[in-house]
Amino acid sequence: MSSLHGVSLAFLLAWGTAVGVDLVSWPQAMISRPLIAGAVTAALMGDLEGGLRVALVMELFALDVLPVGASRYPDYGPATVGAVVLAAGQPWEAALGPAVLLGLLAAVLGGWSLQWIREDNARSIQRNAAGLAAGETRTIARLQYAGLARDVLRSFGLTAVSLAAAAALGARMPMLPSLRIVTAVAIGAGLAAAAGGALRSAGRGARMRWLAAGAGFGLLITLVR
Amino acid sequence: MTGKLRAFLRLLAVQGAWSYERMLGVGVGFAATPILEDLKAADPSRYSEAVVRSAEYFNSHPYIAGLALGASVRAEYELVPGHQISRLRTALCGPLGSLGDRFFWAGVLPALIGVTIVGVALGHPIVATASFLLVYNGIRLVTSAWALRTGLASGIRVGTAIGASWLPAAADRAGLIAGGAIGMALAVAGGWLLEPFPLPEVLLALGVMLFGLLGAWRFGSRLPAVRFALLTLSLAAIWAWRVG
Repeated sequence: MSSLHGVSLAFLLAWGTAVGVDLVSWPQAMISRPLIAGAVTAALMGDLEGGLRVALVMELFALDVLPVGASRYPDYGPATVGAVVLAAGQPWEAALGPAVLLGLLAAVLGGWSLQWIREDNARSIQRNAAGLAAGETRTIARLQYAGLARDVLRSFGLTAVSLAAAAALGARMPMLPSLRIVTAVAIGAGLAAAAGGALRSAGRGARMRWLAAGAGFGLLITLVR
Repeated sequence: MTGKLRAFLRLLAVQGAWSYERMLGVGVGFAATPILEDLKAADPSRYSEAVVRSAEYFNSHPYIAGLALGASVRAEYELVPGHQISRLRTALCGPLGSLGDRFFWAGVLPALIGVTIVGVALGHPIVATASFLLVYNGIRLVTSAWALRTGLASGIRVGTAIGASWLPAAADRAGLIAGGAIGMALAVAGGWLLEPFPLPEVLLALGVMLFGLLGAWRFGSRLPAVRFALLTLSLAAIWAWRVG
């Protein structure tokens, strides 16, 4: 892992926070997609080669998720920031596996943290029930801003935990040649996640034919390039 | 800034106070306030009732919540009975959720992500990711603006307006394109990621993928992809640590 200095750490914390808030609260512009969150982090860390690959594997996991309303889903954005930081500056063939493992753990933690702030929002609404029943616009605005502030704190905390774990692991983890096996397993598990999600969405109709045709075309591209 | 523009901008944060109790309700209420302003002077008691209704339980896809917001605000100005407006909001939850999920989450998003993955794997990461953000957000903003405009223009007839609009057919087409794009992305991404590995490691990755797919097929939601990955990665990491 490249060492983190003051300015780059501040940038990464700000970026991870923005990415976390983007997932649900504002503005859902998809900077929270692992591929985007990871690409920007990789550029900040000066290692596009490895960072993009870590981001892509995290994106494969995110493709399995349909972020529908009340369902619980992992928060891959800030988790990818930490994962890319862990792998930066290392031979990616060895570092990708441990980085994805760290990223998935942080993403699951992020999913729980989303539950916590949703419950906190509900408690806040209950406390302000009288104002809502009276049609006070100030109460509605206060609840909205408080909800957004909670998500900013959540995202900042998740990014900080993710970066701290990356820094702690990066300082201790020797890049053993056997870690290539972990990377191969991470790639296989990522492909399984994305393929499983795609098959589930495709059903048995026309979308399945499009999926098969797309896979065939993709294989052709892979073989000729 | 006009009330409509402020409402539109506030809709970008419609999930800001998401809760299990009201879901998008508070966010919709926050977005509705600027376009209910004119009602405040004309009929203050109706305005208060309208504000209360606007922040009640509501759920839909966030990008097209403007359809319900616009329709209920128009109905408030037309002095439609309050219980009818509440019923309209409730009736719109399911269709708007389903339509938005099909168009965006299962259509436009995976289609564009699939193309972006291919672009990254083929060596154009900056163009691919920047194009993704531009195109996706362009489609999203145009659709959200259309939703608010259509809701405001239709009032309680918004259901008919949605049915006659471009959105249902577009959701079907976007789903097909997404299928093709994801299929292509999987093959290209797999090739790119496994390129430097020798055959035994490539076979290991493909074996893990097959095992994961079989697990998902056999255990369904009891074995989510992340759980499978954490399990296999932990085992592989322990093995790697011991072997050195």
